[in-house]
Amino acid sequence: MVNLFKRLHKLKSLTNTPDPRRPHRNRRSNLPNPPNSHKRIPPITRLHLTYAQKIYGGHQGARHFWRRVLPRLKYHNPHVPITVSPTTEQEGPAALTVYFHERLSSTAPGISGPKPVTDKYAPAPVGEEKSAVIDLKNLNYEEIWRRVQASTGAESYVLSPVDEEDLKKVADVKARAPGDRARNRAMRQAKRDQERMLAEARGEVEKSKQT
Amino acid sequence: MSSFGAVLPTGARGILSSCRLQLREKSIAPAFQSLQQVRGLKNQKNKSKGKAETKSSRRGPLEFTQRNLKDMEQFALCDAMRYLRAFEIGRERTASKYEVAIRMRTRRDGPVIRNMIRFPHAVQTESRICVICPSGSKHAKDALAAGAVLVGETEVFDAVKAGKIEFDRCLAHPDSVPALNKAGLGRILGPRGLMPSVKAGTVIEDVASRVEMLRGGTIYRERDAVIRLPIGQLGFSPEQLRDNLRTTIESIKNECAGLNDRINKEIHEVVLSSTNGPGFSLNGEFKTDDSPETSALTGV
Repeated sequence: MVNLFKRLHKLKSLTNTPDPRRPHRNRRSNLPNPPNSHKRIPPITRLHLTYAQKIYGGHQGARHFWRRVLPRLKYHNPHVPITVSPTTEQEGPAALTVYFHERLSSTAPGISGPKPVTDKYAPAPVGEEKSAVIDLKNLNYEEIWRRVQASTGAESYVLSPVDEEDLKKVADVKARAPGDRARNRAMRQAKRDQERMLAEARGEVEKSKQT
Repeated sequence: MSSFGAVLPTGARGILSSCRLQLREKSIAPAFQSLQQVRGLKNQKNKSKGKAETKSSRRGPLEFTQRNLKDMEQFALCDAMRYLRAFEIGRERTASKYEVAIRMRTRRDGPVIRNMIRFPHAVQTESRICVICPSGSKHAKDALAAGAVLVGETEVFDAVKAGKIEFDRCLAHPDSVPALNKAGLGRILGPRGLMPSVKAGTVIEDVASRVEMLRGGTIYRERDAVIRLPIGQLGFSPEQLRDNLRTTIESIKNECAGLNDRINKEIHEVVLSSTNGPGFSLNGEFKTDDSPETSALTGV
C-alpha cells in the first residue's frame, strides 16, 4: 500500500476540494425530504439522469452534472435513489427527471425548458409520484444546478469552520506540490546519475582485468 | 607447516616438501575452479551476483513496513459506505463492488495466507449446479450439502431428455461416466457446453468441494502483506456488508492462528473501497451519530 500521507491527501482532496470532480462534503445541497420539505415544494422521491456518453449534441453539461454534482447530491441525500442512463445516442435526450411526491412543485413546469422533452430511459412514476423533466441540452452544469435548485428548492451546503480548515490544508499541499515534485525529481536523477557513473567505472575495471 | 620443516632434518624435509606439493595442488585447484566459476557467473549475470554478495547488508527490513495509524483518518462502516455510494453514482450496479484490502503485520519471508471463503451474502450471482453421481452415495450427499440443485443419475438423465435443463453448470463423478455415456446425453448437453468431460475438468473425484468452489466461493491470497478481495455488491445494506466483512476477518484470523506457533501474523488495517472509489480506513465501528439510517444506504 502507498504511504499514509499520500493516501490521506488523495482521500482529502477527493472528498474535500473546492472544485473537485468528485463528492464533496462541503457544497451543494440538501434536497427537500419529508422533514425539511416546504409547503411550496413537495418532497423529492428520486432522480433520474439521461445523457449521451460523448459531448457532441449538447451533452457536455449533463455529463459534467453527473461527474461533479450528482456525487455531492448523493452524499448529502443518501436516502434519495439516483439513477443514471448513459446512452450512445447523441441525438437522444439529455434530461433530468425529478420525481415529486404526490404533486409537482409550483416552479417545476416553468423550469423544464421551451419545449417539453420525453425521456424514454427514465422509469415511469410509480404510485403517487409525479415527474418533471428538465431538458439539459446545451446547458453547462452550473446552469443545470441552478435550475435544479429552482425547481426543487435544494439548498447549498454551508461550509463549517472545520471544512474551511480542511480545504485550506489541501490547497496548501497542492500549492507546495510543484516545488516538492521538482526537488524529488532532482534527487532521483542525481542518484541515477551516480549509479550510472559507478557502473561505468566498474565496467572499465572489468575490461582492464580481462586484457 | 614451514616451521615444522625448519625443525626437521633435511631428509625429512624432502619428504615433507613432497607432501606440501600435493597439498598445494589439491588446495589450489578448487580455489581456481571456484574463481573461474565466479568469473563465468559474473559475465552471465552481473547484477544477481552482486546482490548475492551483499545480501546480508542490503536485504532490508525483515518485516513489511507498518505505518502508525494514528495519523490516518478512520471511518465507521456506514460513513465509508456513504462516501463510496456517492463515488459510485451512476455506475452499473452489477459491475461495481465493494472491495476490501486487509493489511497484515507480517515478516517478508514468512508463509502467505491463501484460502477460500463463502460469504453469507454472495458477491457473485450464484449459478445452479447439477451433479451426476450415483444417488444415495456419499458423494451425492456431500454435493447436496455443498449446494448443488440437482443430484443423481437416472433422474437427471430423464429430466434432460424431457428437455428440462434447469442448471447452468454440470459436474460428474468418474463412477457415473459409463452411465452418462450410455444415456447418450452428448447431443443435448454438448451444444450447450454442459456435457461433463475430463478435459474440461468437470469429471472429478471430489465433487462436493468443486460445487462449493463454483457456488460463489471467493479465493483470496496475501500479496506483499495485503489481502484484497471483493466483499459485496453495491446494493448491499450495511448489515449485509458487515456480515461479509466479519466472515472475511474471522477466516483470516483463523488462518493466522493455524500457522506455526513461531510465526506471528496479525491484521494491521482494514481498508474499504469500491470499484471506482478511494479507500477508507475502517475503525471497526458500525455507525456514528452522523451516519444516515441503514435503509438509506441500501439499494440504488
